[in-house]
This record gives sequence, structure tokens and C-alpha cells, in this order.
Amino acid sequence: MKLSRLSAPVLLLFPAFLVLAAVVVVPLALSFYSSFTPFRLTKPESLYVFIGLRNYITVLSSWDFWVAFGRTVLFLTIALNAEMLLGLGLALLVSKAVRGQRLLRTLMMFPMMFSPVLVGFQFKFLFNDNIGLINNGLQSLGLTDQAIPWLIDGNLALFSITVAEVWSSTSVFAILILAGLLAMPRDPIEAAHVDGCTPLQTFRFVTWPYLMPFAFIAMTIRSLDVARAYDIVKIMTDGGPAKRTELLWTLVGRTAYSDARMGMANAMAYFAIVLSILFTVYFFRKLAAARQQIGAEW
Amino acid sequence: MAPVSLKKLVKRYGALEVVHGIDLEVKDREFIALVGPSGCGKSTTLRMIAGLEDVSGGTIEIGDNVVNDLPPRARNISMVFQSYALYPHMTVGENMGFSLKIAGRPVEEIKEKVADAAAILDLSHLLERRPSQLSGGQRQRVAMGRAIVRRPDVFLFDEPLSNLDAKLRTQVRTEIKKLHARMQATMIYVTHDQVEAMTLSDRIVIMRDGHIEQIGTPEEVFNRPLTKFVAGFIGSPPMNMDDVTVDDGKLVFATGATLPIPPKFRQSLTTGQKVTFGLRPDDFFPTGHGLNSGDAEAVAQLELPVSITEPLGNETLVFVGFNGRDWVSRMLNPRPLPSGQNIKMSFDLSQAHLFDLTTGNSLVA
Ligand SMILES: Nc1ncnc2c1ncn2[C@@H]1O[C@H](COP(=O)(O)OP(=O)(O)OP(=O)(O)O)[C@@H](O)[C@H]1O
Ligand SMILES: [Mg+2]
Repeated sequence: MKLSRLSAPVLLLFPAFLVLAAVVVVPLALSFYSSFTPFRLTKPESLYVFIGLRNYITVLSSWDFWVAFGRTVLFLTIALNAEMLLGLGLALLVSKAVRGQRLLRTLMMFPMMFSPVLVGFQFKFLFNDNIGLINNGLQSLGLTDQAIPWLIDGNLALFSITVAEVWSSTSVFAILILAGLLAMPRDPIEAAHVDGCTPLQTFRFVTWPYLMPFAFIAMTIRSLDVARAYDIVKIMTDGGPAKRTELLWTLVGRTAYSDARMGMANAMAYFAIVLSILFTVYFFRKLAAARQQIGAEW
Repeated sequence: MAPVSLKKLVKRYGALEVVHGIDLEVKDREFIALVGPSGCGKSTTLRMIAGLEDVSGGTIEIGDNVVNDLPPRARNISMVFQSYALYPHMTVGENMGFSLKIAGRPVEEIKEKVADAAAILDLSHLLERRPSQLSGGQRQRVAMGRAIVRRPDVFLFDEPLSNLDAKLRTQVRTEIKKLHARMQATMIYVTHDQVEAMTLSDRIVIMRDGHIEQIGTPEEVFNRPLTKFVAGFIGSPPMNMDDVTVDDGKLVFATGATLPIPPKFRQSLTTGQKVTFGLRPDDFFPTGHGLNSGDAEAVAQLELPVSITEPLGNETLVFVGFNGRDWVSRMLNPRPLPSGQNIKMSFDLSQAHLFDLTTGNSLVA
């Protein structure tokens, strides 16, 4: 009888809220709280010891953490820029295609259909120094007679991971930028030709400003799901060799599950989230500015 | 400053030919209007001159150079697009100065020229705005400003006024005319509004289905249309036209109504010949309310019923029943005419046009 006093909308939404609370709010709050405790999976009672900001202080004064942090920023910068350039190039090429454009557009989305775990396995195989396709190809072409240790050498391993990440996510940029290209009015481009622009100048002064918001949308989306590359790195190198490809996410995962230091891992994770949010806010600002610039009505 | 010459110009889209080998000589500093119904190939022709469309056959010359294979930037032309095609991310000032910036002119010079053009077009107070913050008429003037800032040899206009309301259109039309006098440049102006064509141009080119029907001064195409199509296209309201059979000094209409053969055609027509008879509303009027052509003998009179009237203030368009439909007449010094009343109408046959029934060509007496 008590329930019926609640209004219908509240009543109907209640189950949804309940589920959300169970799977989102509670874990979030719990993990946030645990970042202020020395919680270890092996010592459940440690969850009730409050140690304030000690975890954060340890994390921020840890050399390993900052190395992983710096590497992550470097990795993201290289990956996002490469994805953007390649995506732009792909989109421009596909938009020029006279025939089979639909087919090309579908093909372009292929990498998005693979689970990152699969991408990881696929590239792990490709880059394998013994049986990998890449070394095989290079050797067959006579470009080298050695087995290049793609996943074993520290620098090469980071490079290989970047390639895998770029392969799997370039299509996000390509598709959004292509959408921009297809939505773009032809007239200003023709006006630019008449106004004396070379094709390059037309791109620089007319096409690119128009595409910029679309590129920033892609950037924003990507900065939101940067943590996705965890799977690829985990599969391909698991942070190795000798932590040379340790990124924030693998570090968090290792601290949480291998070392069982859940409280510490959560502190790292929350710090990483701040980083992700900053990226997102930054790109969102850029997006708003770019939209305003072209007088977009959306 | 340059003449433009089109020789046997052809445009094909795949197997579809839309411009069929047209010839046109535009003199230096001439204002040419390209008119014709929708889809006749006006824009296509203009875009070929601009270099925005490939040429499928024939040649285009600007000045003394064949420009077929030159990109637009090498042709020294300006174009005003129907949709204005302003750069949305640039201010009005940047839009207007863009071509000079690309040409690498010094900032001072660009500023000066943009300011000049802005003053001419009354845009000086808008230079900092973006196109999205402008009204249609203002955008139109910015498009025009962008074209004049660079002082090209040839101006190309593709229906620049079609998005403006009637009042603004008249106003900008006058601006364009002044501009032509000031710029001393060759201008090619596409429109399907024949009033624009008549008021602006030195010569009018009338196109139809990818062919040129007639080239002539406004006076020529109005008074001496070479084909039935031109006669029907130029003039507003359009010329009254009906098919007639020549019979013993008379023109017999389908319903049996007759008119005498216009004096100037008396020698050339033979009994039994079928032709199309045309008379402009200006030469068909309630007796006493028309222009005196001076040739009183050539005026035929008939009693005809008024069907409706459209008063325009200084004149009234009177639709009268003749040969089974309404013929339009222009009544000067109008007085009210009730519908259904029979009134005496004058046909000034000295101004009549006759066209061959099959070819549509004018029978010039
Ligand atoms: N890209 C194209 N592919 C195929 N046909 C085309 C193409 N562009 C134009 N056409 C055809 O060419 C013809 C001429 O078109 P054009 O745009 O020159 O007409 P227009 O005289 O400017 O008409 P309007 O007054 O409506 O602007 C039309 O029949 C049109 O259908
Ligand atoms: Mg057109």
C-alpha cells in the first residue's frame, strides 16, 4: 500500500535506477572509497582501514607510475595524430571514388567490427619474430635476412602496439571525416578555385576548416575510450619486455590483480580518469570553437 | 579586360549531350545575358567558361588564349554563384580579401581594396561579421564584393538575384548596372528572368535545349524575334499566339474568327498556307487605350468580351475572349471594365509576327 503512493513515473523508473545503482553507482563509489584504503584482495579486512591520501601520494611519487604515465601520453599523442592523418587521407580518397564508394565505406569500417582482443592476437601473430607474416614478408623480399624482434625489443614493441592501435581505430576518424566531406557544400570549394586557389590551398583554407569539427568529434570520442587499448597491449606484450611497454592501464591491471593491491590500483585509475577527462574537455572546447567558426547550425 | 569567344562548344555528361556546339562572341566590356528556360544549359555553359566543368568539344577563348585546359585560377575571372558560396568560416572582410591573400598581395593593399569595394556595396559596417550573421541580400552583396575586389577580366554571374525579394532584386539590379559602368569589364550574366536580361544587357543570348536560338540587343529580340520560341519567351506578359490558315487575304483562326493579313505580309503569303500568328499585348488593346503606331490602316477592330482584368495602377492587363481562349491586352490610361462586357478591341497588325508552322522560324516580310 505504501508503494502506491509514489507517482507512476517514479514507480516505473525505479527498477532501472535500481539496476544502474547496482552495476554503476555502487562499484564506482566503492572503488573510489577503496582508493583511500590499503585494500588488498588477499586481506579483505584491509578495506576498513582508512589511510587518507596515502595511496595517491605513493602513486604520484612512484617513478614507475610516471614513466608509464609519460609513455601513455606519448603513445596517445602519436596514435591519435597518426589516426587522424590516416583517417583524413582515407576519407579524402574514398570521397573521390566514383564507383564502389559504398563498398569502400563498408570495408573502411571493418576494423571497428573486431574485438580489440582479436586485434591484439592478430598483430601478435603478424609481428611474431619467428613465424610472423611481417618478418616473413621482409625476408622474402630480401629487405633483411634477420628476424626483427618486433615484440621483444622495447622500442619496437611500443611501435608495434601503436600500429595495432592505429589499425583498429583509424576508421573512427575516417568515417567521421568522410561524413563531413560528404555533407560539405560544393560551392565554396568552387568559389575557392575561381578565387585563385591551387588544390592544396583549397584544402588548407576551405575544406580543412570545414572538416575540423568532425575531426574534433572523432578526437573527443577517442579520448573517451583511450582505455580500450588495454586489451591490445595486454595480449601483445602485457607491458613487457621489462616494462618497456607498460602503459597506465596495464600498470593499473597488474597492480590490482597480480599484486592484489586494489586500493593502490584504484588510486591510479582515478588519476588516469582525470587525465582522460582533461583530454575530453580540451577537445570538446576545440570542437565548440571550430563549430562556431564555420557557423555550423548543428 | 578581355573578349570571350565560344566556338562549337559542346558539353556531354556521359552519353547525354546537354550543350550542342554553341558559338558566341562576347566583345570586350560587353554585358551579355544568357537566358532560357530551366535546364537549357545556361549554368553549364557559364561553368565551362569558368573552368569548373570540363569542355567536351570546341574551344573557349578568353582574350587571345584558348583556356580549355586551364584551371579556373589561371583564367582571371570572377564568379558570383546563385547560392553565394561564401566561406562560412571567414568574416565578410576575409571573404572579400581572400583572392588577394591567395595572390600574395600585401596586407595594406588588401585592406584598402576591400574597404573600397565595401564602400561601393554599402558593406563597410559589416566587415567583421560572418556570413551566417547576414541577411540574404547582404550575403548577395558580399558575393558581389568578393568578385569585384580582384578586378578580373571577366565577371560571370549565375542567377545572382534569384534568392532576393522583388524590391531588393530591383535595387541590386541597378547596382549591377552601375558596377558594369564602373568596372569596365566583360560580364556574362545567366538568368531566367527576362526583365533582368532586358534591363541589364548589351546583348541577350536566348538558349533552348542546349542550342542558341537568337543573339541580339534587347530591342532586337523584343521587336524582331527570329523564332516562335524567342517571341514567346521574351516579353511580359508573353505574346499572344495562335495558328491560322491563310484564305483569300484573310487569316482564319481555328474557331472561324478572321483578321486581315497584315499589310507587310500581303505579298508573301499564299492561300492555304498555315502559319502561327503572334501579337504582343502592347499591340492589342481596347480601342483608344493603346499606343498609336501611326499606321491607322493596319489596325483591325473587333468586338470582344472581357473575361478578367488585372489592374497594375498605371495600366491594366485585360484578358479578352478570342479564338476560344483569353488573349492578353495592355490597356493604357485604364478605366474600369466589368467582366463579361463586350468592348471594341484594336489589333495593330503593323506589329504582328508570323512564324512558319513547322520550323517555328519568323517569316520576315
Ligand atoms: N552532372 C550532371 N550530370 C548529368 N546531367 C547534368 C549534370 N548537370 C546538369 N545536367 C543536365 O544538363 C542540362 C543543363 O543544365 P544546366 O544546369 O546548365 O541548366 P540551366 O539552364 O542552368 O537551368 P536552370 O535555369 O534551372 O539553372 C540539364 O538538362 C541537366 O539535367
Ligand atoms: Mg542554372
